[in-house]
Amino acid sequence: MLPIRKQNHGSPTVGRRFLSLTVVGLLLGTGASAQSPQGVPDISHMSIEELMNVEVTSVAKRPQRLADAAAAIFVITQEDIRRSGAASIPEALQMVPGLEVVRIDENKWAIGSRGFNGRFDNKLLVLIDGRSVYTPLFSGVYWNVQDVMLEDVDRIEVIRGPGATLWGANAVDGVINIITKPAQATQGGLVTAEGGTEERTAESVRYGGKLGNSAFYRIYSKYFEWEPSIDATGKAAHDGWNAVRAGFRVDTKSSGPNALTVQGDLYDSDYKETLTIPSLNPPYSSMFANDGDYAGGNLLGRWNHSFSRSSTTLQVYFDRTNVLDNSLFTDHESVYDIDFQHDIHVGESQELVWGMGYRSIQDSNGSSFTVSLQPNHSSLNQFSSFLQDEVSFFDRRLRVTLGSKFEHNDFTGFEFQPNVRVLANIGKNQSVWAATSRAVRTPALTEEGLRLNEAVVPPGAPPFFSPLPVVEAIFGSTQFKSEDLLAYEFGYRVQVAKSVSLDIATFYNNYSNLRSAEPGQPFVEGSPAPTDVVYPFVASNKMGGGTYGVEPFVEWKVLPKWRLLGSYSYLQMDIAKNKNSLDPTADNPDGQSPKHQFFVQSSIDLPKHFEQDLSLRYVDSLPSLNIPSYYSLDFHLGWRPGTHWEFSLVGHDLLNSRHLEFIPEFINTTPTEVQRTVSGRIAWKF
Amino acid sequence: MRYLRLTIAALLCMSLASGGANAQSADSSESSEYLIKAGFIYNFAQLVQWPPAAFVQPDSPIVIGILGVDPFGELIDRVVQNKKLDGRSLIVKRLKRGASLKECSILFVSSSEAAHLEEVLQSTKGLPILTIGEIPGFAVRGGIINLTLEGNRVRFEVNIEAAKQANLNISSRLLALARIVPQSADGKRSE
Repeated sequence: MLPIRKQNHGSPTVGRRFLSLTVVGLLLGTGASAQSPQGVPDISHMSIEELMNVEVTSVAKRPQRLADAAAAIFVITQEDIRRSGAASIPEALQMVPGLEVVRIDENKWAIGSRGFNGRFDNKLLVLIDGRSVYTPLFSGVYWNVQDVMLEDVDRIEVIRGPGATLWGANAVDGVINIITKPAQATQGGLVTAEGGTEERTAESVRYGGKLGNSAFYRIYSKYFEWEPSIDATGKAAHDGWNAVRAGFRVDTKSSGPNALTVQGDLYDSDYKETLTIPSLNPPYSSMFANDGDYAGGNLLGRWNHSFSRSSTTLQVYFDRTNVLDNSLFTDHESVYDIDFQHDIHVGESQELVWGMGYRSIQDSNGSSFTVSLQPNHSSLNQFSSFLQDEVSFFDRRLRVTLGSKFEHNDFTGFEFQPNVRVLANIGKNQSVWAATSRAVRTPALTEEGLRLNEAVVPPGAPPFFSPLPVVEAIFGSTQFKSEDLLAYEFGYRVQVAKSVSLDIATFYNNYSNLRSAEPGQPFVEGSPAPTDVVYPFVASNKMGGGTYGVEPFVEWKVLPKWRLLGSYSYLQMDIAKNKNSLDPTADNPDGQSPKHQFFVQSSIDLPKHFEQDLSLRYVDSLPSLNIPSYYSLDFHLGWRPGTHWEFSLVGHDLLNSRHLEFIPEFINTTPTEVQRTVSGRIAWKF
Repeated sequence: MRYLRLTIAALLCMSLASGGANAQSADSSESSEYLIKAGFIYNFAQLVQWPPAAFVQPDSPIVIGILGVDPFGELIDRVVQNKKLDGRSLIVKRLKRGASLKECSILFVSSSEAAHLEEVLQSTKGLPILTIGEIPGFAVRGGIINLTLEGNRVRFEVNIEAAKQANLNISSRLLALARIVPQSADGKRSE
């Protein structure tokens, strides 16, 4: 595989927010079920924060807890976000076991689950309020445009492992579900301002109110500006950025059988980067300061209707993304999506969910010498449907979930993604779960029609000694197939003691048809006179292998006002090219994802409305990128005198003055170093 | 590194200052809105501080009064059964309109009392009673905590002014999760 990973586009669909329904969010730590002898759940052992996350499932009268999910799930609550001092979604994700979250420069991130991390990671599906933010261009996520008012986030559900049965293709190694609060929950005004070292400033305003007697709304706007960080030599880099964003959400009152939500956002972001691109003229490569712009918007409507034993949801959205990277590539992407979902309770012990969806994607792009995509305009159609049944036995002590997604896309046709999940409660305090699933990662537009000129070897230079410049280029291919995953997962949760719970997830993933880059027939181009020789590397599916790992997570309420969290992630990747592969690049991407990671956090409620949090994160070295391991220490001190004001002081990465976290693939953007930062924030509610 | 030392010091101080461990466990089988609400009430009891004078003796029980039509059934009794808070047990009493509310530490005002709300709140005025309702506007009209449903989750509103008048101290942890509502000037529903 060439030094990069590129990607494909996605076809997730269907109101995946329903995972939220099935899995609904209690903090992981609550351990396994404890039932009183009368069969009434021992709800008195749940904290108020946990109770607030329990769904009153009026149909089933059965709140579902995270601890009963047959999947590796971690939920970041609003409280977790606030207390982590996170200023962005990627920062908030750093606490999740099994995820790799690294910063490339001020405005670029690489976020992956269970390996294969990269700027163009293509195996992670991300949804914001049910809207997929996966780009069909490379099957990844533009992390720099995914933002929300963090104070309005209800929770972020992170599922490691395949979620394809519900979410569809590309939910291969994980799903991140960002869920904002309904407008009812954000009434009144909020103004925040923050500033800190590295000249980071941010301001946001939100106001929520009522629309007549039957609906609530909120509107918000936020702006931030991050000045440049530093490069490897300690000098100021060219990587600052700013973004402005505004949006709204309207929810009808939840009484009655119908609920309607309409929401939308608009954003514009300017970024800077240092780019190196090849050229056919001496010196055949140039490094320069590049500026670009991301802008876009989305509009989503969702209607839910509850019947006595079932509920239906219809969701429609439009999402527009404009990428103007002036020296490299421009892309305009419009996504139209419609999803329908029906949840039915059959008898006392069965819950059936089915749905269907359609997505239309229009993409048009403009090329440069470095990056070009054929055709310049694409129109893609994706159809999907899924069916899942959960059956419970022995008073719900054993639950079996069976289901599959059926999808049709323009690249590979029909895809079938089934799974089986089993969860068993053992006694009062323990549960085990196991799952087997198949997921596919369907091709992206780039994997079919890309030409990326990676480097130009000057005339006469080794290894070619050619009289003409030699262009090493990566090509997409119409022969490119979906990447396949067969995943086997196993998990165990136990309430070790009243105050200690443990959650362990393990997995073995077997991949086939992973992307490789096979050398093609060199050819001469240019007319009338030849200008250069092209050495092509063509996207193919000649890699495979296994990955396995274990992810334990412990929560210990040492004292009522002192909570400790700890997690560890072990990842072993044995990915290799197939025997018939001629891909000259490294055998496997192991060295791009950390083998060991751990995270510990202490959260203390201090007297006088102070709260203090301290977390330490260890990320192992990335041998193939030559990135050493590092520790990152974060600190948060909050003070909330009364209900109107909140003050916080946050320190990030306090142990290091600066360090490098990643080297990006494919596009040669100069990575910059993460610096120690200290910032302060004031929030005023009215 | 200075931050590190400071925080570690603060951490140690804290660990010495507080005591007691908290239980964490829950369940998923048959449950309902009122089981969850009972759980909320039990949590409120832990996160609200009554003035010492509110209890006759150090081990006097915390009495949870349910005024009007009882929506809980035995669920709430099971939740608080055999529980102790600061050495006090919890007792649930069902009350009819007009009954004396003085012995209550917590008063749950059922929706059946919506039409008589002013009267009820008048009778608890100045007493250290945590009034809890599930009536639109309950907190704005002078009740202390109002339980609401948002989507299908339970949320709550707090009237801090009313808590002060009742001489109750509500923990910041509780306030942080609440929607704070103002008391309407004329005591009428102003929402």
